[in-house]
Amino acid sequence: MFESLNGALGPIYFWTFAVMALASAISLVFICRHPLSAALNLIGVMLSLAGIYALLHSPFLGVLQVLVYAGAIMMLVVFVIMVLNQAKDHQVPRFDGFSIIAIILPVTIGFSLVGFLGKQALKAEPTAVRAEIQPISASLFDLTAAGPGYYILFELIGVLLLVAVVAAVLLAKRRLDDPTPAAEEKKEDAHGHH
Amino acid sequence: MDTIDPIHVQVLAAILFALGLTAVVTRRNIFFLLMGVELMLNAVNLSLIGFARTLPAAQGSLTGHIVPLFTIAVAAAEACVGLAMVICITRGKDTVDADAFADMKE
Repeated sequence: MFESLNGALGPIYFWTFAVMALASAISLVFICRHPLSAALNLIGVMLSLAGIYALLHSPFLGVLQVLVYAGAIMMLVVFVIMVLNQAKDHQVPRFDGFSIIAIILPVTIGFSLVGFLGKQALKAEPTAVRAEIQPISASLFDLTAAGPGYYILFELIGVLLLVAVVAAVLLAKRRLDDPTPAAEEKKEDAHGHH
Repeated sequence: MDTIDPIHVQVLAAILFALGLTAVVTRRNIFFLLMGVELMLNAVNLSLIGFARTLPAAQGSLTGHIVPLFTIAVAAAEACVGLAMVICITRGKDTVDADAFADMKE
């Protein structure tokens, strides 16, 4: 389906997605005052990037970008923003005096990267592999000794996610020594009723 | 030109990375810092996939499509722990201003 997009239409789609991503990112960084609108802009960036991934021979990653990034991670961000929303998130000033000095760093990095990349001669490789789910899974779960060994990374990522979940529960819990935080709230509720 | 120029992909990734870094070093709201980090991770993913498009299959261009899988998983772990820390520290301070969390330097 995406093969037809790499004809004359490919660059048109690419520039559309690129302009959408850049506009959303600029709005996120410089204009947004409330984190909720910034989160919606970030979702816009991620959806545009998912389209660009699909154009760049990686439809599986485009789908994962929509599912995991725009779906799961940004859902978590929006959820936490709305839970913590004390109706004064937007009263935090956007920038301060230090920002004027600090912006030198990203501007320098950005200009040097773009200036460096502008001189390179990269060409799209016509035989580049189309990373659909079949070749990705075949390479990811290649258990032979001569294979790339990505499955070890896969296992380690599983352990990392487990550790992150445990750490998040420990950090966000109200008190570590109280095994049943719900019991206390129930007690308070009961007192409230009496 | 009938295909996407890989240089344009890399320039887009570099600009998005610089914008994410701008959000991290200049914004004061702590949510914007986290979202800037997410933007930088996205830019790196775009760069990897753009470079994978320039390699023939024999030179392992599939690597550029597999490493972003792990980046996405690490970003999920980072968002999970980062947001738990935000919940934890805003409980004591009752603000999301990053400058309010400068206790370590005093």
